Amino acid sequence: MQLDKVLHVEDDESIRMIVEMALVDLSGFTLLACENGADAVAQVEQFEPDLILMDAMMPGMDGLQTLVKIRENPNCHNIPVVFMTARIQQAEKQQYFDAGAVAVIEKPFEATSLGDDLEAIYQRFIASSVAIAQD
Amino acid sequence: MQTPALPLNEQERLSALQLTGLLDTEPEQRFDRLTHLAKLALGTEIVLISLVDSERQWFKSKQGIDACETGRDISFCGHAILNEHIFEVPDASLDVRFSDNPLVIHAPFIRFYAGVPLTRSGLRIGTLCFIDSTPRLFSSKEREIATGFAKTVEQEIEDRLQEQAHQQLAASEQMYRSVLEGTRIGTWQWNVQTGDTIFNQRWAEIVGYTLEELAPISIETWLKLAHPADLDESGQLLQAHFAGHSPFYDFKCRMKHKDGHYVWVHDRGRVVSWTDDGKPLMMYGTHADITEQKQSEMALLQSRDQFKTLVANIPGITYRCKADEHWTMLFMSGHIDFISGYPASDFIDNAVRSYASVIHPDDCSSVEQEVAEAITNQTPWVLRYRILHANGSVRWAEERGAAEFDERGQVLYLDGFILDVSNEQKLQEQLVKLTQQLPGVVYQFQLWPDGQTAFPYASAGIEQIYGVKSEDVRTDASIAFSKIYPEDLAAVAQSIDDSRQQQKIWQHEYRVFKNDQSLKWLSGKATPELLPDGSTLWHGYIEDITQKKEYYLQLESLNQQLKVAQQCLDLASEQAKIGYWQASLKHGSLWWSPMIYQIFGFESDEIVPSVALFKSTVHPDDVAKVEQSEQQAKLTGIHNVVHRIIRPDGEVRWVHELAQLVPEDENPDLMLIGSVQDITERMKLQQVKDEFISTVSHELRTPLTSIYGALNLLQAGNLVQLPPKAEKLIGIASSNCQQLSRLINDLLDIEKLVAGKMLFEMKQVCISPVLKRAMNDHQPYADQLKIRLVLDLEPQLDCYQLQVDEHRLMQILTNLLSNAVKFSPSGGKVVLSAMHVGDEIEIAIQDQGPGIPEDFQHKIFQRFSQADASSAKMKGGTGLGLALCKELVEAMQGSIGFHSGAGAGARFYLRLPIAK
Repeated sequence: MQLDKVLHVEDDESIRMIVEMALVDLSGFTLLACENGADAVAQVEQFEPDLILMDAMMPGMDGLQTLVKIRENPNCHNIPVVFMTARIQQAEKQQYFDAGAVAVIEKPFEATSLGDDLEAIYQRFIASSVAIAQD
Repeated sequence: MQTPALPLNEQERLSALQLTGLLDTEPEQRFDRLTHLAKLALGTEIVLISLVDSERQWFKSKQGIDACETGRDISFCGHAILNEHIFEVPDASLDVRFSDNPLVIHAPFIRFYAGVPLTRSGLRIGTLCFIDSTPRLFSSKEREIATGFAKTVEQEIEDRLQEQAHQQLAASEQMYRSVLEGTRIGTWQWNVQTGDTIFNQRWAEIVGYTLEELAPISIETWLKLAHPADLDESGQLLQAHFAGHSPFYDFKCRMKHKDGHYVWVHDRGRVVSWTDDGKPLMMYGTHADITEQKQSEMALLQSRDQFKTLVANIPGITYRCKADEHWTMLFMSGHIDFISGYPASDFIDNAVRSYASVIHPDDCSSVEQEVAEAITNQTPWVLRYRILHANGSVRWAEERGAAEFDERGQVLYLDGFILDVSNEQKLQEQLVKLTQQLPGVVYQFQLWPDGQTAFPYASAGIEQIYGVKSEDVRTDASIAFSKIYPEDLAAVAQSIDDSRQQQKIWQHEYRVFKNDQSLKWLSGKATPELLPDGSTLWHGYIEDITQKKEYYLQLESLNQQLKVAQQCLDLASEQAKIGYWQASLKHGSLWWSPMIYQIFGFESDEIVPSVALFKSTVHPDDVAKVEQSEQQAKLTGIHNVVHRIIRPDGEVRWVHELAQLVPEDENPDLMLIGSVQDITERMKLQQVKDEFISTVSHELRTPLTSIYGALNLLQAGNLVQLPPKAEKLIGIASSNCQQLSRLINDLLDIEKLVAGKMLFEMKQVCISPVLKRAMNDHQPYADQLKIRLVLDLEPQLDCYQLQVDEHRLMQILTNLLSNAVKFSPSGGKVVLSAMHVGDEIEIAIQDQGPGIPEDFQHKIFQRFSQADASSAKMKGGTGLGLALCKELVEAMQGSIGFHSGAGAGARFYLRLPIAK
């Protein structure tokens, strides 16, 4: 299964545009961009993304809080979430993994390879999910 | 008339006569009966047993005559004894030899005489003679009868002698027996050959038996009762006697009494007869009970031993000598050996030397003189003199002695006791020397009730103290008092009087005039002693304390200065909120200046500072940091730590401790002296600054992300085709964007490190894979600049593991490697090596670049430091890399350094601890 639908949550408009160019124009994914956590929570069920790319630091609900909210919806339990954040230490990263993130991408990121990177993350996720389902 | 001649053997004849013991004895029947019978048998008027003495003839028995003797000159018997056989005179009146003999002319008117010689031991001692007043001639028959009677008389004489001898023997035996009984001595007779033995009753009594109880008696009886231990010696003595080596067998031994105890007996005996072949046969002896004697002998020995021990234990010499001119020694105890080096036996009887000979020649005459005077005055003597020891040394002796007089006042002996007082003498001499060395005066001061004063003793130091000589004040102390400064005199007198009245130690400080009339300070101390005459004697010491006084005054002034300095310090410390303290790491004691109480929020009267109290105030998260700094202080002497404390009211404050360990040789208690400054305000500012930087960095990063992303997409070329110039511009923008991003990252890392917010994941790491990875990561960059990367690892390196945060270590290596590559000339070489050095692994990066300029070396690890601005621009460094490396290495307990000569490249190394 190929990655197709990505839900991007990011308060900074410039970054939203860069990501859109990278994922849609370069990689051909279907993208839904939300400018805050609340929007994302509201639209996630209907959009049914394959993967959520979430900025960590946002005004209002931050990335972690948004994730918790999304997970409250039973239909959204299994959507993989990738956090995007300013460069942080290994120990800080752990809290995102603990909250259910499958990967953390540091800012600034390589826009040209972002699609490939997300595809790789998604495939790893699928593989591990199949493995878990088979267990 | 013819007098009879003397026989040739007259002298022997007379002796033999004497031995018969007949002369002048009473008439005896045994002889009278014979003469009577002879008279009847031969019918003569007179029969006599006549013994011819030297001047007379004496009649032991007589018949028919009254006279008992006549002179030898007129005797017929004198003639008769000259003949061997019977001598006959038929008619004396007709015989010229006798015709005018008074015994012929007068009564008894002898006409016939016949005398048969009486012989004893072959010597004719007298006659048996027959006399008649009418002439006659014996027939041969009559002669035979007469001779027969003479033989019988001879036999009677012999028998009589035998009887007498026997009687005498019996009497003497009786006497000896009585004597023996009186001495209570036992006797014994022993047949050595048969063993037959006879003891008397007394022998048995000595061992508590009767003879009947001991029967049958043999030599076994003795052997059985004798003490087994004595038998051997007894046997030896016996054999010695048998062999003729001793005239007697003489032995004292123990015998078992019937009661079971042993009695001491003295046996003495000798062999009285021998067998024909020379063996001892009969042996007679005595056996005396000497138990009492033995006991008293032993008691005597014991008391003598006691006396000897007693004398030997007296730590001196006791002696007794004659009062002669040589002092002939009668007794001298063994201790003389110690003091003179000669044994006592040398002196006894002056055998080898006299006592006077060991007395020092200089002392000899005075000793003799004093002893002589003491004897004359009948007083004891006490002398002190020197003795010349055999080894050449001189010892001091003290002798106490007295003469012993008889009732007539004559000197019998000199008795005495000599003590080795060398040590005492030495001590005394030392004491005198010591008191001479003392800077003050040791003295005795006496005060009588009438006010008279004196210094009976004062050491030489009195001259320095009072400017007088000790003899000047021995009987009158007033000169010394005249030296006392008038203003002080009354107080001195008062202090002496107080000491006297209360009998308490006198202690006083006062001034006296020196000879140049300047003043000096004295301090005295003395103990009073009340004497029987009502006076008081002080024993004490006075010293010159002028200099001490001066020092004291200087000290006072210094103290004053110190007080001022203290006040300044207090003021300054209050202004700067710096307190100071002193702690003993060994005892845990702590002293705080007042400011510290204020900083820590304590009241000075509420608590007593201690290291434990201080520790309790340290913020729990900072305890380890503080302890680490203390450990560091023990090594480096410097304690430097910033930490938080929690005050009793709960407020958290920041303090900076800076302390120094007092150098060890003068600091057995591990004293740490330091300051503590309240830096809470500064820390708050710091925090604000840190937050600001963090925020700014973060805020910077968001737009940077967009710029970088946009440039990234433009460069990709997939989206937009750009003219070459635009592409070049975008390349410049992109590279500067990366540079800015690194700068922000480094800045954030540094701030985190400094604020202690950087978290490390310390793990045991094998170093070679990390190094290989670092090499590989830089290979593309190096290839690009045509730099050869070389890895040089010690073969045993994999034996060690490092305790590090691998990610951070990689960060450091990246920094150093990229620097090395960056500064190396094209075609050069960068060597990454690792080896173990002691407890650490040294990782080094050597490049072939231009090296580090000398004027830059000291600040190479400072933030934002670059050798020159142009190189920064050229090489694209942030100026934070090495500062960050240093912070990271040190946070992992390691160290970083470099070697560089201009033009010789640079070698950066880091040392990290090997995991234990």
